[in-house]
Amino acid sequence: MVAGRHRAGDATGASPSSQSIPLVSGLLAAQNADGGWPYRRGTSWTEPTALALLALEGRQEAAVQYARGVEWLAARQRPDGGWAPQPGVEQSTWVTSLVALLPPARIGQARHARAIAWLLGQTGKETTFWYRVRQRMQGVPINNPVSGWPWFPGTAAWVTPTSLAILALRKAARESQGDELQARIESGCAYLLAHRCSDGGWNHGSSRALGYESNSYPETTGIALLALEGVPKLDGSLSTAERQLRDCRSAEGVSWLHMGLLAHGRKAAGVAPPCVVRNIRDEALAALAERAEQGRNVFRA
Amino acid sequence: MCSVRSDSQAKATGRRGDGATGRLGFGRREFLLGAAALTACARPPAREATVTIARAPGYTQDLYDTVRRVLTEQRLAVRGRRVVLKPNLVEFEPGSVINTHPLVVHAALEAFRALGEADVRIAEGPGHRRNTLDLAEAAGYFQTIPGFEDLFTDLNLDEVSRVQLSRPSSHLNTLYLPRTALASDLLVSLPKMKTHHWAGATLSMKNLFGLVPGGVYGWPKNVLHWAGIHESIADLYRTFPRQFALVDCIVGMEGNGPIQGTAKAAGVLVAGRDLAAVDATCCRIMSIDPAKISYLQLAGVPERIVQAGERIDSVRNPFRLLPEFQSFRAV
Repeated sequence: MVAGRHRAGDATGASPSSQSIPLVSGLLAAQNADGGWPYRRGTSWTEPTALALLALEGRQEAAVQYARGVEWLAARQRPDGGWAPQPGVEQSTWVTSLVALLPPARIGQARHARAIAWLLGQTGKETTFWYRVRQRMQGVPINNPVSGWPWFPGTAAWVTPTSLAILALRKAARESQGDELQARIESGCAYLLAHRCSDGGWNHGSSRALGYESNSYPETTGIALLALEGVPKLDGSLSTAERQLRDCRSAEGVSWLHMGLLAHGRKAAGVAPPCVVRNIRDEALAALAERAEQGRNVFRA
Repeated sequence: MCSVRSDSQAKATGRRGDGATGRLGFGRREFLLGAAALTACARPPAREATVTIARAPGYTQDLYDTVRRVLTEQRLAVRGRRVVLKPNLVEFEPGSVINTHPLVVHAALEAFRALGEADVRIAEGPGHRRNTLDLAEAAGYFQTIPGFEDLFTDLNLDEVSRVQLSRPSSHLNTLYLPRTALASDLLVSLPKMKTHHWAGATLSMKNLFGLVPGGVYGWPKNVLHWAGIHESIADLYRTFPRQFALVDCIVGMEGNGPIQGTAKAAGVLVAGRDLAAVDATCCRIMSIDPAKISYLQLAGVPERIVQAGERIDSVRNPFRLLPEFQSFRAV
């Protein structure tokens, strides 16, 4: 069992670098016999599998396990080009972004291209043409829409799936330039900026409800900052992220905050309290944050 | 009839007030409520439910006896059965009243064990935060409930089965649902009594949203908002036929619930086998008219509720409502 074995930050506020070896060996030990990874135990899911592979990318000692993981993912691409969260679900969802972050050469060029095409075909339902027409007919004022990505097709856009889609498209744009890719990246960034909470950070994507301001969360602030790399004038958000890091009580949050701050050239100077790594997602993210500290952020283009 | 708020924003913000469109003066909500009323009229035998109201002035050791007494009074036969306790975990806010208090969950766990259940698990799938165990730790569950981690299932990441919804009120025909909940012989909803800025009140039925797996649908479970919040609640209620509710009303939340409201002591536990009856009783304690809560109307509140323990009048304690919900106030 993973829980309680590692800590993603230490009491001195250092990054999780000292945990490097146990984190990777923990990931290797947790791989299922079918080649995928579970969240904790049992069925392999796409998210922990893709994150584990991102964390193990380029590590010689993990080459065999990496290949088996890629094989698991490759066999589960759906006919529409996307991936389901786990094999028992018959629907491609947001997890497609995570698979699309893997190197095309590893997952397969054609497979990767179809994943990107699937992502480009997704948008929050609130920005679809027919929904907007219906709203207009009901007298609801319509602002210029900025389209993000939903967790599940046919629903509204949210911060985490939008951030991951931006990261995947930006990485893809490095290899194949295209107006559509660029336009969707820009629109995704605009979505994130429009959904920032008044404290400068991000929550799941609802910054106001019934006129009341909502608070931001560490994990979503970190991932949004990572996706907004290169966007200027985010000082307030970065300060919020640093403050959140000092109080964060989840390994997932600590890892995303580290990576988000690093994307804007800020070393995480705050004191992060100890956080228990609860599952494979936490473990892989801790390893990814550590690599980012070492200058190799696999989420960056 | 519930006042209809056209809240396109709510769907996009993860919180939706109703499933009606409001156009042409006769929306889907009105149709469904009308149909529900007609169905209720056609139903031959009058439904009856017993709801227990027990005084519980604080989160103290007395709670263990109180919960055991409530379950005995409700004559729950759980010997040899699989029981799933489903609390409401929402946010990391130390000292707040957002989450079901861990002592209520532990008292329920001990009481069901004393009744001889075969297996009791605690399970929850929060709607906004993905790190469920961290949330549970921050809410004091690890500290209060010995061996919590081994007893707990994160419903957001559980194995799932696709379930066909029978005569759904919402747009949904099927839902992926967690096997831990589907396989239970008794699903026990353990919510906190709170006002809710889209639904009016969040109690044992609204708590069923936490059964829908975020691992499939995301955080929030926005598919339910688009399908209609009230209608989805009614669908979930019908999908799990063997239920029980024990509502933590010791200290609830009033005003801008379910997250940003303020603490409100009500000093009771409310329990029963019929979730709609329990929630209607809670509404009456809060001085909210249950007839204004659309999901209760869709689910159908029993014609006769037998009140055990305290009388509603003796524990009534009006919860402050946002201006938008003043029409929900019971006269």
